Amino acid sequence: MLVAWRYVQRYSLIQSFDPRAWVIFFSCFLAGTVIFWDFRFLLFFFSIALLFVFTSRIPWKDMSRAWIFIIGFILFFSILTFLTGRGGVELYQGEHTLTKLVANFKILGWTPTLNITAEKTMYALSMLIRVFSIASMTILIPYSFNPAHYGIIFRGLGLPDKVAYGMDLTMRFIPTFGRDFSLTMDAQKARGYEIEKLGGGLFAQVKKLAPLIVPVTIHAIAGSEDIIDAMDLRAFGVGPRTWLEKLTYRKRDYVLIAIGVVILLASMALSLLGYGKFWVPGFLLG
Amino acid sequence: MSGDKPLVIEDLNFRYHSRETLAIKNISLSVDAGQVLLIAGASGCGKTTLARCINGLVPRSYKGDLTGQILLNGKDVTKLSLAQVSQIVGTVLQDPERQILGTKVANEVAFGLENLSLPREEIIERVAEALDHLKIPQLLNRETFHLSGGEKQKVALAGVLAMRPSILLLDEPLASLDPASAQDALDIIRSLADEGMTVLMVEHRVEDVLRIHPENAIFMMDGQIKYYGPTSGFDKSVNYHEVKLPAEMIIERAKDDPAPERLTTLRKESVVGRGKQMGEPLVKFEDIAFWYEEGRPVLHDVNFTINRGDVIAVLGPNGAGKTTLVKHAIGLLKPKSGRMTIDGKDSSQTSVAQIAQTLGYVFQSPSHMLFAPTVEEELAFGPTNLKHSTEAIPHEVANALEIVNLKGHEKYPPLALSFGQQKRVSIAAILAMQSKILVMDEPTAGQDYKNYLGFMDSILQMPGFDAILFITHDIDMAVIYANRVIMVNDGTLVCDAKPAEALKDFDFLRKNRLVPTSLLKTNLDLLPKTGRFYSAEELAHVVH
Repeated sequence: MLVAWRYVQRYSLIQSFDPRAWVIFFSCFLAGTVIFWDFRFLLFFFSIALLFVFTSRIPWKDMSRAWIFIIGFILFFSILTFLTGRGGVELYQGEHTLTKLVANFKILGWTPTLNITAEKTMYALSMLIRVFSIASMTILIPYSFNPAHYGIIFRGLGLPDKVAYGMDLTMRFIPTFGRDFSLTMDAQKARGYEIEKLGGGLFAQVKKLAPLIVPVTIHAIAGSEDIIDAMDLRAFGVGPRTWLEKLTYRKRDYVLIAIGVVILLASMALSLLGYGKFWVPGFLLG
Repeated sequence: MSGDKPLVIEDLNFRYHSRETLAIKNISLSVDAGQVLLIAGASGCGKTTLARCINGLVPRSYKGDLTGQILLNGKDVTKLSLAQVSQIVGTVLQDPERQILGTKVANEVAFGLENLSLPREEIIERVAEALDHLKIPQLLNRETFHLSGGEKQKVALAGVLAMRPSILLLDEPLASLDPASAQDALDIIRSLADEGMTVLMVEHRVEDVLRIHPENAIFMMDGQIKYYGPTSGFDKSVNYHEVKLPAEMIIERAKDDPAPERLTTLRKESVVGRGKQMGEPLVKFEDIAFWYEEGRPVLHDVNFTINRGDVIAVLGPNGAGKTTLVKHAIGLLKPKSGRMTIDGKDSSQTSVAQIAQTLGYVFQSPSHMLFAPTVEEELAFGPTNLKHSTEAIPHEVANALEIVNLKGHEKYPPLALSFGQQKRVSIAAILAMQSKILVMDEPTAGQDYKNYLGFMDSILQMPGFDAILFITHDIDMAVIYANRVIMVNDGTLVCDAKPAEALKDFDFLRKNRLVPTSLLKTNLDLLPKTGRFYSAEELAHVVH
């Protein structure tokens, strides 16, 4: 059976909108964010994200695990970006060294040296804030939307019945997959399987993951066959469909959509005019 | 056409494209409105295929060669669309978990009506009507995921009834329910039939179904009908080893047959724990409490000890905390308060893999653990993880396969086996680990009567176990196999005693959503004479 994220009515800002309006706003937000590399512009998007997060009324303990995972992930990649400067080289030509850290030891005749440059620093910071804005807006979705509305949201956005119901099932597949994974993990642990003790080369490691991957995959396939049978037995897809749930736009929803569209159009215009490219504050360039 | 019977089947044969032999052969039957037809048989007898032919999944979703005719209200089923069939035949599958699609009860019950594109107002009306009919209107806005097993089954039924079918097809509807929920479901089914619904019920728990007096019954074997007629003649014609008949019927029939090979005498003084100091504590639960959310304990004040020689049946309603309780024994869950010791070691300081060396845990669902390309490799996985010697492993594997009656299947891919066989592979996979303590969560679920008696017999005869504990919904399992019964309700132990003591008070049983079975009643009646509990086959020879 498909599991859904538990829905709690929190009377928060995000929940006060029609979910369709929010999805449109969210899409504009995403598109706007990825246009810019300028730290100052990104701060604007970051503050929108923070506004929704801090008004979401989701207790920290409910979302702490998701946040810790995402923060860990983002920090890891930001630091990696910072250390290597990878990805940023297309955005800037010269680099201005701020300090140079030289290790007082050698590895195989090579002295590890870290060039901290103004460009690398700003690139890492911009990347951090950009990904963080997107992640924090996305993380709110499962905690804020009513799973019973998934189908009608997509239908309401203009997708055909079948596709909309398919999206509904897909959204619910994510937590279901999580549950199946932890059940399988438990079952294999009870057979003496210890994932911590994976060793050997890459191929050997993947092979040792089979006890987890195979049952979870098979379960997903068998589960979808059951779902198809259950849908067939109740006449799914024979014609146009009535949706029991109803969503209605209110004034505030149109306002939200308008704000989203304005942000996106303004972002595109600014970008075409040449604003919002990678930026390093003057004082760092010395 | 008026006057047509709701269902007529003439000379039906079907072969799945993936198989070489016919799944069902020469099936002919007819059912009148307002009647209940019981379709019984062991797993693999073709009853599920027959059900799929009737509800139209065969040949639409399951391809194959179909000959013969199925008429629904006089109309040929192959000429109808699946949508039309679904308005005539409402199907409730074995496991409501596999049928429920909606996140909320309202959405679930409305699903079929939405697909038929009825106006919203009518859908809302019909949903309320279906829920009222089953006396569950209070569930309307609940999330389906958080319902109990019995509630899920009723909601699935409501979703089908809302479409107003004239035939109700139930495929083992009792399999996942606790006894009291099963009885509720049966009562509802009978009253639906009395209101004019035609009910087809596929079930091997015949004893339970007989309580609602089906008008006719079919017994199937190897894809063919072996008996078809009034239920009164049913017990004479069926193989009582294959389906579960009421105890009195089995006793009547079995007394003319040779005595069972192993009488319970062997079993009760079973080999479990033999040759060592009996009664030595192995697993200790001390003041165990557990919760997922503070303030809502799933378990509280749990105190008991598994001793050497114990064969414990854990009984209790769906959602009482039975699985949570036994997951502590293998350390998958660590108590929030209290102390859990396994073989003298505190579970909080031991990994699951370490505990697995002494305690084998068989999960409820085989599909969460089977992964290997062959049965043999599947069974070797546990012992290999536990670093058993390469000489010992083939021997352990062969032994385990023998017990679950799957010899000859060594090279089969476990995932290609039937559900019942997969379940037995999952039990064998733990048996091969040679743990001293065996813990099983619902070992008999999805098994037919013959198979589960077979492997439970063998497991209890298997040397090397110091103690066995199993969770079950089936009181008869406790009657036949256990020497100790633990009842769990609302997260704590409400009873811990010998079976004859624990199961004698029927009011107490009902309070814990258990329903006394004919075997239990017969055993209690005969207890002064027999001195302890026996299986029905054995009673036939012990008493007579």
